[in-house]
Amino acid sequence: MRELLRHPPGIAGAVLLALVAVAVLLGPWLAPYDPQAFHPAARLQGPSAAYWLGTDQFGRDLFSRLMHGARATILFGLGATLIGVAAGALIGVTAGVTGGWVDSLIMRILDGLLAVPDLLFALLIVTVLGGGVQQAMLAVAVAFTPGMARIARAAVLSIRTREYVLAAIARGESAAWIIGREVLPNAVGPIIVEATIRVAFAIMIGATLGFLGLGAQPPSTEWGLMVAEARQFMFRNPFVVAVPGVAIAIAAMGFNLFGDALRDILDPRRRR
Amino acid sequence: MAAPPVLEVAGYTLDYSTPAGPVTALADVGLAVARGETLGLVGESGSGKTSLAWAVLRYLPANAVERGGSIRLSGEELRTRTAAEILEIRGRRIAMVFQDPSTSLNPTIRLGDQLAEVLVRHRGLAPAEARGQGEALLARTGIARPAEMMRRFPHEASGGEKQRVVIATAFACNPELILFDEPTTALDILTARQILDLFARLREETGVAALYISHDLGLVSRIADRVAVINGGRIVEEGPVAGIFRAPRRDYTRALIAAVPRPDVRLAAPPPDPGAAALLALEGVSVRYGGAAFLSRLFGARPAVVQGAREVSLQVRPGELLGVVGESGSGKSTLARVVAGLQEFEGRVGFRDRGYAGRRAFDRPYRRAVQIVFQHPDGSLNPRQRVRDILSRPLKLYGLVPRARLAGRIAELLAAVRLPAEFAGRFPHQLSGGEKQRVAIARAFAAEPDLVICDEVTSSLDVSVQAQVARLLVELQARTGTACLFITHDLNLVRQLAHRIAVMHRGELVDLFDTAEAETDARHPYTRALLAAVPVPPAAAADPAPLTGEPP
Repeated sequence: MRELLRHPPGIAGAVLLALVAVAVLLGPWLAPYDPQAFHPAARLQGPSAAYWLGTDQFGRDLFSRLMHGARATILFGLGATLIGVAAGALIGVTAGVTGGWVDSLIMRILDGLLAVPDLLFALLIVTVLGGGVQQAMLAVAVAFTPGMARIARAAVLSIRTREYVLAAIARGESAAWIIGREVLPNAVGPIIVEATIRVAFAIMIGATLGFLGLGAQPPSTEWGLMVAEARQFMFRNPFVVAVPGVAIAIAAMGFNLFGDALRDILDPRRRR
Repeated sequence: MAAPPVLEVAGYTLDYSTPAGPVTALADVGLAVARGETLGLVGESGSGKTSLAWAVLRYLPANAVERGGSIRLSGEELRTRTAAEILEIRGRRIAMVFQDPSTSLNPTIRLGDQLAEVLVRHRGLAPAEARGQGEALLARTGIARPAEMMRRFPHEASGGEKQRVVIATAFACNPELILFDEPTTALDILTARQILDLFARLREETGVAALYISHDLGLVSRIADRVAVINGGRIVEEGPVAGIFRAPRRDYTRALIAAVPRPDVRLAAPPPDPGAAALLALEGVSVRYGGAAFLSRLFGARPAVVQGAREVSLQVRPGELLGVVGESGSGKSTLARVVAGLQEFEGRVGFRDRGYAGRRAFDRPYRRAVQIVFQHPDGSLNPRQRVRDILSRPLKLYGLVPRARLAGRIAELLAAVRLPAEFAGRFPHQLSGGEKQRVAIARAFAAEPDLVICDEVTSSLDVSVQAQVARLLVELQARTGTACLFITHDLNLVRQLAHRIAVMHRGELVDLFDTAEAETDARHPYTRALLAAVPVPPAAAADPAPLTGEPP
């Protein structure tokens, strides 16, 4: 943690993530209004003393909705990414370490899946599983798996032929030791960075699914859904789209910068 | 001499500004090269020799700060020239030949076009004319069918052929000065020799002045008229080649000369008992590389098989150091991989009284008894483990030392490779190349092995470090009675260290002899060609007597 504070982009990332974390943990208590309460007299207003970030098309307070929606949004992104990364890394590492026809087979199948865009793939899965937040999360996770597997495999392949790995094989180490102690610690860098970037994508895909009626359902305060719902009122009050949009951007940037810093810190060579 | 020297550097000082403050790369450097003369600039990595080459070419990085001095080409100051003027000078009046021909040629442009481009650019020839000239230039470098070579892409030519094209390009505009930056390091022994001969001939014909940069004092002594030794950005000594070798004035030069491997200075451990049973016996070991990928095989593609080793049989006795030499692709590293259990093979590997018929047959006791040290010190240590963890792994894996004694044993191992005990807490990136290689050697010896495989362990190290590592290895070997399979391309080094030498050529074992018999008539013609390509460096007068009694 002390290392992180010496890394300027890391500090920025940590600050942004701290903001997001406050919203996730304390959001409902920070919100001045009920997120679903209509204020018909004050529809589509800009920021003011009464409504800090303005109101939406039903006169609901945007700040309150933002605070309430943080938890669902961030947990959705994190959950989908974690499942996707775990599954992808497992498949990729298996393919990379095993090699031979197993590798060929797994990678050709994944290449086929990669040809389908993430969103379309997620849609397909949701259609099979049925709508709902959990199903959408699973769908995004599955959609992420092939890409993550490719990245994990590439990282493993570049490490697998290093001489310290050969030395471990020559020593007669078990496969578990070689993968767990020699290969993985040196291959996690690209995986972590990719994962942090994907959190932002997961949030966006989740929002899109919600918009199509396949993920979070109105009146949920999920940020992506907020953007989608307010789209048609964008020209009357830009804040209805900008507020949740900026919130997503802050979360995405926070995860991204934090991931970059994390990679540097995890790498002993870059430590001062 | 009335004419000014072709290159004259005087009082030149260069700093690099870094976040940690300025670092001096060159301090008050002065040297001169006359027409037709070759000056060898010898120094270890980080000595500033390449910085000097870039300074002469006026191609310095943005953080370089010139503190003073002058660089003159035939009397003209280069430092005050504008960028446009320098472009006219570079390639036409000063040319450079780099270390690795495979990276100094553009892989997407035909060799002929790369050569003709220089002629069009600097001599204003028409393209057709330039191609004709280019063919003549290539013919001059000894390429048999220059017209055909002109049409090839870099990947269709061998390393030696590519370096000839680079040299032809450098000589294309009859420059006054050519800078050579280790032009033979990336080449095989025999090819390197041919390139050096070519260089000597072209210099004779054109009378060009040359600055020949190298870390290898032995090599420079063969081609340079004078030698300048550079250390820490300063020229420590300069003079005629013979004089420097016979009577070096500075300690640093003396140490460099002492570090040059010379076959008459034997370093080998006491010879093994000639009657002893073989420790390791390879019987008809063959390795085939290649084979098509799974899907291609499915579609009936015939695998292109490369023979890595062909029916190799040899024996290593306990306590013996067997040197394996050969050019790249000769199969010497394949042999190391087979014995280390990293490569599937056909045939039989006998160890003590057991035989193993394949890679998977190697068991835990075999893997403990046979350890390997790799070429690249950077790659052979896991960057995320501390030296302590790296060294304790073999101890724990083979259960050699009780847990309570672990720290003590690690300190002993570090002491054995002459590293301070506090290095145990360091990460590999905090060590120098030589120190890393010592840790790798300590890791191999931690397993208390009977046989250590050394795969080019000294070739990526500086000459002086190389000598230290070689001495250390032999000393450990003598102390522990461990046998060693020492794989290298450095013939002079292996003749210092080995009891017997095996010569590999295209996957086959062509010669195997006692080191003392290296220069007898019984040698295979290929061995003789290799030996002839690497002359023994001249002896210094103040040379210590050979360390072990064996006659050269």
